[in-house]
Amino acid sequence: MNIHINTPEGTRDRLFAECLERRQVQSALVELFRRRGYTEVITPDVEFYDLFVQSGNPVPQEAMLKIIDRSGKIMVMRPDCTAPIARVAATKLKHLALPQRLYYDQTVFRDRQAHAGGSREIAQCGVEMIGAVGDKADLEMVAMAVDALRACTLPQFHIELGHAGFYRTLAGRMNMPQEELERLRAAIEGKNFALLNDLLEPYRGEDACASLRRLPYLFGGVEVLDEARKLAGSCDSLDHLGRLYSELSEAGYGGCVRFDLGLVHQLDYYTGLVFRGYVEGAGAPVLSGGRYDGLMEQFGRKAEAIGFAVDVDAVGACLDVETPKLKTVIHYGPDLLARALALVDSRPAGSCELSPCRTLDSTMNLAREKGAAGVLLLDAEGERWLTV
Amino acid sequence: MSGRLRIALTKGRLQNKSVELFEAMGLDCAPVCSPGRRLIHELPNYPLDVVLAKAPDVITYVEHGVCDLGVVGKDTILEKGGAFYEVLDLGFGRCRFALAVKKDSSFYGTYKTRRVASKYPNVTRAFFEGKGMDVDIIKIEGSVELAPILNLADGIVDIVETGATLKENGLEPIEDVAQVSARLIVNTASMKLYKNEITDFLSRMERELEGEA
Repeated sequence: MNIHINTPEGTRDRLFAECLERRQVQSALVELFRRRGYTEVITPDVEFYDLFVQSGNPVPQEAMLKIIDRSGKIMVMRPDCTAPIARVAATKLKHLALPQRLYYDQTVFRDRQAHAGGSREIAQCGVEMIGAVGDKADLEMVAMAVDALRACTLPQFHIELGHAGFYRTLAGRMNMPQEELERLRAAIEGKNFALLNDLLEPYRGEDACASLRRLPYLFGGVEVLDEARKLAGSCDSLDHLGRLYSELSEAGYGGCVRFDLGLVHQLDYYTGLVFRGYVEGAGAPVLSGGRYDGLMEQFGRKAEAIGFAVDVDAVGACLDVETPKLKTVIHYGPDLLARALALVDSRPAGSCELSPCRTLDSTMNLAREKGAAGVLLLDAEGERWLTV
Repeated sequence: MSGRLRIALTKGRLQNKSVELFEAMGLDCAPVCSPGRRLIHELPNYPLDVVLAKAPDVITYVEHGVCDLGVVGKDTILEKGGAFYEVLDLGFGRCRFALAVKKDSSFYGTYKTRRVASKYPNVTRAFFEGKGMDVDIIKIEGSVELAPILNLADGIVDIVETGATLKENGLEPIEDVAQVSARLIVNTASMKLYKNEITDFLSRMERELEGEA
């Protein structure tokens, strides 16, 4: 029989430094989430396919890893953490007072295009705040997104805010058929200026046309809000973003906050604030979130929700984590196990290990093979350092 | 990033046209024109590094963010897709995707499922899906014109520039599928992280393109 010694495409064995990176990011995030009053939820790795399809989940069906169980039901490897948590909050937690603050630290599974370098397993660490609406809830979430990336010790990052309502306001002013509006939205999302111009050309007489044409350019510092106001007049979503920004600046978060009013992805899912985190060195956003006030209702409980997820390994890859180097091998004599262990425990993790060898010669060889600096000999007379 | 942007150009005709455009923008492209063995060409008078790649690879490099910018044909974008910003139509490399069939044959108007050969199966599928029409798509790697001549397919979806090759082989374009030209694409994170640098490059390019027009 041929044993598969390779892992399936899009999966990998993570070794040493990669594990340290992942764990370092996870523990920094989890520590922050818990400090802010969030409690952990672990949902099953395998769930019903219908859960994700019926809840209007933005993961396309071809991206879900499917399993057919013995009864013939279609299951999927969890492609997203938010829908299962909304399910839990709407059912098992329905008697608990709102808001509920929940966090998760688990893997999502997504099938990717072959040979494109993407991973099928994505470690996500994220939060959901269920049943809170208004500026304060949004502020808490954005501040935590900034603090999350800061806690990961990333040198260069920013959180970018957008608002699903701004595009909706503009689109609502257009007398455009639904299908064409969807193409318009896609052109704005892709910052496809050429296509956007073509699509808007027949509508150039309409008021909102100039604003929509500028929409993909409206990203950067807080000045984009002013430009948007000049173009589109005052509207709730811009006022909302303006209020958030002044509060965030007051609290010292202003330097990490930017805007992109052309953030118009998954508009049937997001209902208000949307945001993303960008890090120097990562080619895609490492944090993504927003407000989805319609989601919980799909599970039978009306409640607002806002949250975000961090792509743990994408952040980890931006860190420079090294595995500890072995320095000392301890060779200990009879009845000295307790002292030997105490010595190992007192050293930095990974810098010291016990020798399983009977003779000192074998221990010296072992230390040489492993590249250690020396052997610490423990015997009845005490400790002696032997350089390899 | 050390204050320099990196751009991937599609090798061949689009590369030459891109270099012409860059030169017109005042960028010294000497290192790209006499490449030698180096694979990354640093422009001496503008903070831009140039790499040359096959069209689909341009998209791959930009999507992964190892190149901030790319010049690639709309044909490749339509076929391969991906997540990036498609910010400028550069105007050169113009041609069209067309459905071509054997002269005087009727492609439509039969209940029989048609068979279409193409180097671009995704473009072909999207085109016929848009019509609500089922077709068999056969992927051909080389000269697609051969497929209908050998009676393997009823029609082809391919890039048409002058139509001369089609005509010589007894085929005629009967419908446009899409217009194609070279596009400037930008990595989504680079656009946000290096906004000033990219905006400067884009506005120089736009000025030059408008000047030409």
